[in-house]
Amino acid sequence: MQAFLDIFDIYLLEAVVNGILLGGVLALLALGLNLIFGVIDVTWICYAELVMIGMYGMYYMVQVFGLPYWAAAPIAILLVAALGAALHYIVIAPLLTAPPINQLLATGGVLFILQSFATVAFGIDFRNLGIRLPVLAIGEMHLSYSRLLSFAAALIGMVTVYLFMTRTYTGTAIRAISQDRQIMSLMGVDTKRIYLITSALGGALAGLAACLLVLQYDVHPFVGLSFGPITFLICVLGGLGNFVGGFIAAFVFAEIISLGGLFSDLEWGYVLAFAFFIVMMFIRPAGLFARRS
Amino acid sequence: MPGRKAARLLVGLTAAVAVLGLAVPANAQEKKIKIGVIYDLTGPLAGGGSELQYIGAKIMLDQFTKTGVEGYKIEAVYADAQSKPDVAINEAVRLIEQEKVNMLLGFFSSAQCVPVAARVEQLKNFMWITTCISSAVLSDKNFKYVFRPQASGDQFGLMTTDFIAQNAKAKLGKDPKDLRVAIIHEDGAYGVDVSKGNEAGAKKAGFNIVMKEGYAATAPDLSALVTKLKRARPDVIFHTGYNPDITLFGRQAREQGLKFAALVGHGAGYGVYEKLKEGLGGDVNHVFNADPISIWAANEKGLNAKLPPVIKMVGEEFDKVKPGVAIRSAHVGMAASNTYVFLTEVLPRAIKKYGGVDPEALRKAALEVDLPEGGTMLGFGVKFFGEGEQMAGQNQRSFPVVIQYIDDKSYVVWPKSQAQREAVLPLPKGSTFSNQ
Repeated sequence: MQAFLDIFDIYLLEAVVNGILLGGVLALLALGLNLIFGVIDVTWICYAELVMIGMYGMYYMVQVFGLPYWAAAPIAILLVAALGAALHYIVIAPLLTAPPINQLLATGGVLFILQSFATVAFGIDFRNLGIRLPVLAIGEMHLSYSRLLSFAAALIGMVTVYLFMTRTYTGTAIRAISQDRQIMSLMGVDTKRIYLITSALGGALAGLAACLLVLQYDVHPFVGLSFGPITFLICVLGGLGNFVGGFIAAFVFAEIISLGGLFSDLEWGYVLAFAFFIVMMFIRPAGLFARRS
Repeated sequence: MPGRKAARLLVGLTAAVAVLGLAVPANAQEKKIKIGVIYDLTGPLAGGGSELQYIGAKIMLDQFTKTGVEGYKIEAVYADAQSKPDVAINEAVRLIEQEKVNMLLGFFSSAQCVPVAARVEQLKNFMWITTCISSAVLSDKNFKYVFRPQASGDQFGLMTTDFIAQNAKAKLGKDPKDLRVAIIHEDGAYGVDVSKGNEAGAKKAGFNIVMKEGYAATAPDLSALVTKLKRARPDVIFHTGYNPDITLFGRQAREQGLKFAALVGHGAGYGVYEKLKEGLGGDVNHVFNADPISIWAANEKGLNAKLPPVIKMVGEEFDKVKPGVAIRSAHVGMAASNTYVFLTEVLPRAIKKYGGVDPEALRKAALEVDLPEGGTMLGFGVKFFGEGEQMAGQNQRSFPVVIQYIDDKSYVVWPKSQAQREAVLPLPKGSTFSNQ
């Protein structure tokens, strides 16, 4: 009994809180990807690489050109938003009516292009922003401000996207298109414009994630490999295109990783998380929070 | 009669053409050795030290390309393993079968070395490993054509535990049995092998191993690992990793308030000081690292007299490629020295004594290398375990050293015979991770 009670110590609480904070990072990443899929019905396999480009943007603006972080962040967000819009205009738009596998392969190709571009343009060195935020200490428990920031940004991002989608005309148009893209164009809605806005918005969310991730991670051309697959799994787990589902799935996934890692080897945390994903795919193939038809 | 004359003329001409035809290519066919060189020039391992190894090997190969060896031209064919074992295998096979290289040289990652060595042996080609350290590459394999002048992974792990054991009482004020140690490592062939050496050394020293755990080098979060370390309260952490995971660990350890007396790394990411400093800032001060000695830190008096000018040349060439580096990474010298051993000890012997550069000649020549301590730029000697021995192909005279980063300089602190200064142990009070 005592051994069981010993588990409930400050370190368990720390692991739970760290899981929530990691969930914030993953939720932020999943938000933009879900938006794109929900509306345009295309999965940007290269989403984490857009984040990587944003991280490089932050690094160069802050470290090389000496811009303060708060000034560089909006520019990076705009930069990745423009990149998102360009990606749609150049790659996705011509493939909108193509089979999904072609769209997937095309964005996969963009993934390799962006990785190779970064390798050639920025080199293979790991680069660090050099900003070290303080730590919030509550007794034995220490919390990272950079993660708290990500968590707050994920929450604010989520609420903002929700309000944008429900309270604005463009948001309503986006939701309407996601429900039936053919009928909306028949009703006079400029679907091309809406797609472009959605892609820019998805890019902006990738840019926001980049601004926060660059505080926690080194940037290198392959940093997307650490996040891309997990982000994709979270979106699928929450139901592709379901913002709230993706948001909650991110926290479920992060807690399994964190607590699994605490009670067993770190790797078992990931094994459990992926096993959970596979099981859920059998039980709820459309995602955790998909509505039953 | 004229017909017979014409026939004789034709035969004569044919014979002449045949002789000339044979003679021309024989003259034109220059003697050369084609060396396939494989490192990771892209992907996460490139920045983790592999590119520096490539630079070191290339500096040496370029020098010998100018002069040749025993009348043989040197032609290096470079390939990028892209930080992926499957690409490394494909490139190795491509170089052997399509580029027709006489041998392969290089290899940074143990995860690549293990399968590539087996494939190269199968193809009966010659492989000279400059870098990867996992014992699994050679242990119980009895390879005939794979040679590694580099120290093996378990030697790294044993060296650092021996260093801590010998200093436990004097520096940390604890008997080894009371010393709490944690062993953490990336879960590839390299990390697992070094951790085995750590564990064996820790058991031998009688340390209290409070935690031993592996993790994926690409894991996006190590906070659970740090939380467990906080709960386990180790005095010393033995860590083996590449670069992105080391900085992630260091950053999350700082953010979560992990405290200890010493952090001991084992090559790879810990060997690239510039990146550690960039990622961890001042927290890298007083971190230990086990690696073959940096050729620029080796005691010149103990080296063969012909080596210091070569070391100087490597340094000058490296500065041209990467100007303004605070501490020249040990990675560069490691590849340069091990390539130099091949070009000055194995290759000339193969050509002179065994008549060529085929794998058999290179193998016989490698087995005859007998350099005493001080015979290489890395300070150690070279003598390979022969066929039938458990570690056939491994240099039995190689050893790593323990260095410590202090105020942007690196000092050898162990073994005592090589030490440049006393180790700063435990971490000084006031430093981020100090448990004092």
